[in-house]
Amino acid sequence: MGNAYDVVVIGAGPGGYVAAIRASQLGGRVAVVEREVLGGTCLNWGCIPTKTLIAGTDVLHQVRNAAAFGISVSGDVSFDWAAMLKRKDKTVKGLRQGIGGLLKSNGVDVYEGTAAFVDRHTLAVTKADGSSEALETKNTIIASGSDSAKPGFIPEAENILYSRAALALDDLPESLIILGGGVIGCEFACLFAALGVEVTVVEMLPSILPPVDKDVSRVVAKAMSGMGITILTDSKMSDIASDDESVSCTVGDEELVADAMLVSVGRRPVTDGLQLHGIGLTVDEYGCLPVNERCRTKVPGIYAIGDVTGAVQLAHRASAMGICAANNAMGSPDKHSDALVPGCIFTSPEIGAVGVTEAEAKEQGLDVKVGKFPFAALGKAQAVQETDGFCKIIADAQTDQILGVHVVGPHATDLVAEAATAMNLEITAAELGRAIHAHPTLAESLMEAAHAVHGQCIHMPKSRRRK
Amino acid sequence: MAKLIPVPKLGQSEETVSIVQWHKAEGDEVKKGDVLFEVETDKSVLEVESQFEGTLLKLVLPAGKEVPVMSIAAVIGDPGEEIPPIEQPTAAPAPAPAPAAAPAPAAPKPSAPAAADKVADAPVAAAPQPVAAPVAAPAPAVPQRKAVSPRARKFAGDFLIDLNDVPGSGPGGRVVERDISAYLDANGYHDRKITPAAENLARELGLSLLSLTPTGATGRVTISDVRTAEAEMPKPMSKMRQTIARRLQQSKQTIPHFYATVSVDMTDLIEFRKGLKDKGYTVSINDFVAKAVALSLVEYPEVNSTTDGLTASWNSHVNLGIAVSIESGLVVPVVPDADEMPLDEFHAVARELADKARSGKITPEDMSGGTFTISNMGMLGVESFGAIINPGESAILAVASAMPMAVVNEDREVVARDMMKITLSADHRLVDGAMSAAFVNAVKAKLECVELWEEEIA
Repeated sequence: MGNAYDVVVIGAGPGGYVAAIRASQLGGRVAVVEREVLGGTCLNWGCIPTKTLIAGTDVLHQVRNAAAFGISVSGDVSFDWAAMLKRKDKTVKGLRQGIGGLLKSNGVDVYEGTAAFVDRHTLAVTKADGSSEALETKNTIIASGSDSAKPGFIPEAENILYSRAALALDDLPESLIILGGGVIGCEFACLFAALGVEVTVVEMLPSILPPVDKDVSRVVAKAMSGMGITILTDSKMSDIASDDESVSCTVGDEELVADAMLVSVGRRPVTDGLQLHGIGLTVDEYGCLPVNERCRTKVPGIYAIGDVTGAVQLAHRASAMGICAANNAMGSPDKHSDALVPGCIFTSPEIGAVGVTEAEAKEQGLDVKVGKFPFAALGKAQAVQETDGFCKIIADAQTDQILGVHVVGPHATDLVAEAATAMNLEITAAELGRAIHAHPTLAESLMEAAHAVHGQCIHMPKSRRRK
Repeated sequence: MAKLIPVPKLGQSEETVSIVQWHKAEGDEVKKGDVLFEVETDKSVLEVESQFEGTLLKLVLPAGKEVPVMSIAAVIGDPGEEIPPIEQPTAAPAPAPAPAAAPAPAAPKPSAPAAADKVADAPVAAAPQPVAAPVAAPAPAVPQRKAVSPRARKFAGDFLIDLNDVPGSGPGGRVVERDISAYLDANGYHDRKITPAAENLARELGLSLLSLTPTGATGRVTISDVRTAEAEMPKPMSKMRQTIARRLQQSKQTIPHFYATVSVDMTDLIEFRKGLKDKGYTVSINDFVAKAVALSLVEYPEVNSTTDGLTASWNSHVNLGIAVSIESGLVVPVVPDADEMPLDEFHAVARELADKARSGKITPEDMSGGTFTISNMGMLGVESFGAIINPGESAILAVASAMPMAVVNEDREVVARDMMKITLSADHRLVDGAMSAAFVNAVKAKLECVELWEEEIA
């Protein structure tokens, strides 16, 4: 009995610990195995630390911009990177303890160590001291997450960083080259640029934030340029070299030199040490563990969730899959779909998006109507002086179903929650527009964009182009 | 002077046609020879080219509407020109006269199909791919009207229900408002939940809420549930498919089919054909089969005849129908006097007809007058199959794939030979078992005798 479980979860990130709690709520005897710290990448080296630091840069921006609001700030306004990191560490530590408390209160056993499959129902946990313990289990949920991709052409050096190291820098570099203009690259670019670092983003594709709606990424690219960030798109980087002082590389015919380089070219699933072959599981060509809509791998009783399954690598998706896998493992059938996973990007301005982009709608041959409303036309946005961006709704021309919502602007990441709820309920643009939205709020932008789908926007001049 | 463009009469028998797709829009410039529209008869889809030059002033007939032939489809003229009054034929024109081209049988043929009606033998096994041709969206099915009071109709408009399902309690079974309330309550309508977008879609498709089954975790009918129901809704088949269905059913229900199968050793003939090909003489295996059939039909004229159960009509020509699978169904072009044609000529004629069929250029005349049909599924990897007789004929030959088989030869040794099964489906009212057996063996003997072909070609 001692080490016999209904469900063992490998990895205590936002997928794993959620799965463990859910399985326990359903009456299971549950254990979670973690080889580093509770909370995974999200809490320790991802979502939470970056947002904690970005909150700091927001304050800095507000204070420096205080005069615009009629507030005078006397004396020098400056920041203390070390203190910012300390606040970040404190926040993370508090949340980490919170997860420990949640697991404990739910009766989930936590094992510190690396899990490996002995057979389908037996896991060996190897601890830091080298000792090993065997766990018997009916079901296993693999939630081992991902790590920054480290392509071979990039040399190893102290000043060539990946996201994890970038959050623990002792001193800020004066200049930084960011390889990869995806979500992570752009968030770090905004963060460091706000702290006075001279940032250059190099992206291979024609635009930064490739999967994002083009209208949206254009707004962010413009704002980033306004912050002094240099963005080089359609650009391949080569000849990366580092001495301890600086990093150099070639982009096109140009040589770039900076104090440091951040590499953000995607994340790779982590499966090392799991001994998957022992139970007949294999990873696909990208190193991911494919699962079906019930989050099952091809081996009975073995589930996989989150980043290790590839596709959408977001914490909340991992949590949703964790709940789905736990439900299935505990005998209440559930399905997961990636169709309505909202995406949140903490650039400045922020991006919140859910559903299809205009380009995807076109690609899929969907007949759609698009409504767009700019924050500049919204009272609340004017009041808080954050008028960059817009809200855009893509609706099915036949049924009026909302198929995609893209917000770029103040609190876009919060605003998209309403859209995700509405879309899960298959609400129409007309109904979203009919729902009374409180005034004055930024959420009115969604209501106005819904009106705009039918060319009935109240707070925009009548368009001559629309029929 | 503006010209009225009618939907031309493309064959001899059709009375109604529909435009499948317009290639030009109002205001477009039209040159002589430009394709104006595609029209679907029950035989095929044909492109109609303009005989005039000018601007398409008015598009009179929308796609998808079934109209009598010679209806005015469009007006072509100079921009700004006045459009002359358009008079449409109201009734179908008089039935087409019996086609002269058909080998007119002396005896009456009660079900004598107008020759142009001959579409398909369509061996059931060879069910062609789903219709891919653009078929005009069906008009929403209008069920026969039930008597409903205006007030009840207005009330019902708020709900996704089919009024035909509502029992009426008013005078003469008329549906009144309280009937609808009672129907909703009795069927638990108000307990059914549907998402707003799904409701819009269901309303548009005319699906009743009670016919929709929620599958999701929330118990609400979602878009995907409505899409599923939509996919399962009956949709009209293309006119060609309907014709195929009607004729196959007619054949299988009125003609007592009898089947006889033999295995033909094709090894030598395949080798012989290869040799011919190397010499630049191109013929297909199907050409050999067709020619062997044509010659055997001359020997066994009963198989080349027709009966209505009371009389038998002998055909003096051997006109071979060759079934061709096309994107939207099956057509059977006919090679007239196939028995008299040299092999290479037969190859050329059959090839041209098949190409015409596949590119949609085949005309009803190309498909008329057949006396016997061959359905060859050799390229489709089947061991054997039985075909359905084309109405108006008394037999059809189903040709399966030649496959390497272990065969016992004259010296009682097991050898590998390329064997091909052919199955005759015969109208047993006219053709007996012995006759069928003799016929298929006659075909077999010809295909297994390379010397015959050497003579034929030399």
